[in-house]
Amino acid sequence: MENKRITIFLAVIWGVVAILPVFFGSTNFIMHILIMCLIWSVVASCWDLIMGFAGIFSFGQVAFFVIGAYSSAIISARFGVPPIFSVFIAGIITAGIGILVGLPCLKLKGAYIALVTFAVHMILEPVLKGDIGRALGTGGSRGILTIVPMNIFGYTFTSSDPIPYFYLLFLVAVICSVIILMVIKSHWGTAFLALKDAEDFASCLGVSAFKYKLMVFALTSFLTGMIGGFYAHYVGMLSTRMLGIDLFVTLMVILVIGGVGKFPGAIIGAFITIALNEMLSPLGSYRPIILGAMVVILVLVLPDGVTGLFEKIFSTKKRGLTH
Amino acid sequence: MFIEIIDVIISGLINGSVYALMAVGLTLIYGVSKAFNFAYGSFYSLGGYIAFLLFSIPFFNNYFVVLCLAAPVLLIFGFFIEKLLVAPLRKRDDWEVKVMMITLGLALFLDNSYQVVFGARMKSLPSMLEGNFEMGEFILSYQDVMIFIFSIGGILLFRWFLNNTRTGMSVRAVAQNPAGAQIVGIPKDFVFAATFAISTVMVGMGGILLAQKYFITPAGGWDILVKAWVITAFGGMGSIKGGLYAAFIVGMLEAFVGWYFGMTWTLIALFAVLLTTLAVRPQGLMGKWG
Repeated sequence: MENKRITIFLAVIWGVVAILPVFFGSTNFIMHILIMCLIWSVVASCWDLIMGFAGIFSFGQVAFFVIGAYSSAIISARFGVPPIFSVFIAGIITAGIGILVGLPCLKLKGAYIALVTFAVHMILEPVLKGDIGRALGTGGSRGILTIVPMNIFGYTFTSSDPIPYFYLLFLVAVICSVIILMVIKSHWGTAFLALKDAEDFASCLGVSAFKYKLMVFALTSFLTGMIGGFYAHYVGMLSTRMLGIDLFVTLMVILVIGGVGKFPGAIIGAFITIALNEMLSPLGSYRPIILGAMVVILVLVLPDGVTGLFEKIFSTKKRGLTH
Repeated sequence: MFIEIIDVIISGLINGSVYALMAVGLTLIYGVSKAFNFAYGSFYSLGGYIAFLLFSIPFFNNYFVVLCLAAPVLLIFGFFIEKLLVAPLRKRDDWEVKVMMITLGLALFLDNSYQVVFGARMKSLPSMLEGNFEMGEFILSYQDVMIFIFSIGGILLFRWFLNNTRTGMSVRAVAQNPAGAQIVGIPKDFVFAATFAISTVMVGMGGILLAQKYFITPAGGWDILVKAWVITAFGGMGSIKGGLYAAFIVGMLEAFVGWYFGMTWTLIALFAVLLTTLAVRPQGLMGKWG
């Protein structure tokens, strides 16, 4: 998609989302789902940036999210830092870890990168549950049960009053998506594409793989860690259950529905998937089966996701006009 | 102390032999078709569950029959999964990501289907051979010996297949040069499906062999997937010899770390060794770039 169209698309999506509380504001349950949609849209967009645009098979996105959530919760509880700052500190910590993970990945290719980043995900659970985690204040296998609620200048956001929370996270999600959009539009985005399509050729032309790959790791893990912090303060409790395969696959479904490398698609994907997930929840243990089958069918039938479908419709219209 | 160390070495050898069987399967698909199969762990559980089902039928109540029946079932299953799910994606530019996604979805589907069909409770298979070999303090169970013999036998059979049969040779040809193999008339698509099927059989057999020592649980395959993955990356993706060495190294490492530091450290130690190896040799022990 051209940049102009992406911008319009993004503006339309956020415009629609902004007025959703007018209809659903009175139902706390639906507002909660919408807040979750906003959170996951940011995580999925970051994943799309690193996997779809930069072509790095990073599978550590959930791990970064959890690291951000835990660090923000611990920092705000231990050092009395106001949550609005601790969220940023969590983002910086996560970015640091993201760079550490990114460093070995610079030399690796394809499935190896997936393994190294997935390894972070796998190790995180024993670390958080074990002695190291307990020393840091993760609460071991019990998790963190009380987290300071978010407050800004004396105003406390509570999850029982979701509308202010919704707009706070809406603002954060819009800012994150604008940052991602700017990255894609700038020469960064071009560099990513060049590195993805022909790494050797791009580096011959002076595109530094080292610089851009580390940058994308730092940026996506910063945003993911920050939104993880927001999640922690919103939900108010954390446990290592988030590292289960369920959440990971949900994130994957978001990308499959939205389309990989079709940027605003991840946001649409998040809203569709999270809403669908909630609708399927009465089915109990059949829900993950349906989710899994859906991934399989969607990858086969709709490989570019909903965005790909839109693109197809629009492009045929255009062709019709010119002829 | 001395006896303990010997016990640890033996358990490392036995686990290593089963890991070798499974890691070779994973490295085979990657080496031949460059596809990464995320549902590999679910195929492991599938093997265990098929054996569990067969054991519940009175007449089929022994390992010989179970292995003979499970192998073709797994073979056909793997063949059709490749034909239906992976093959249609191959035309696309970004098919590597798409294959990872579709197999991840398949893994979720299979794991939760097991949970619905068989329940979340652990299932176990009867021991292959009861009894122990005892010599003073040293005890070796016949079951472990059988597991070792069967997995090494499986690897040897696979080696024979690759070197001596027509299909095996075409698998090797496609792995070396897909375009060249197609030019000389080797049916590439069939070879891709066949390798996928063979790897399914190998991991399913691993599932049957290990299910008598450990248990079958719906999500138990993830652990196996990660281990097989670590071993293939460690040994070099696509390199069968590297995978074999790596499997035994990992088996030993796991046994020693588990014995000395405790089981929780095995995964961390595994990844630490993997990262160090990849930092020095990004292509793994015996892998090639490409």
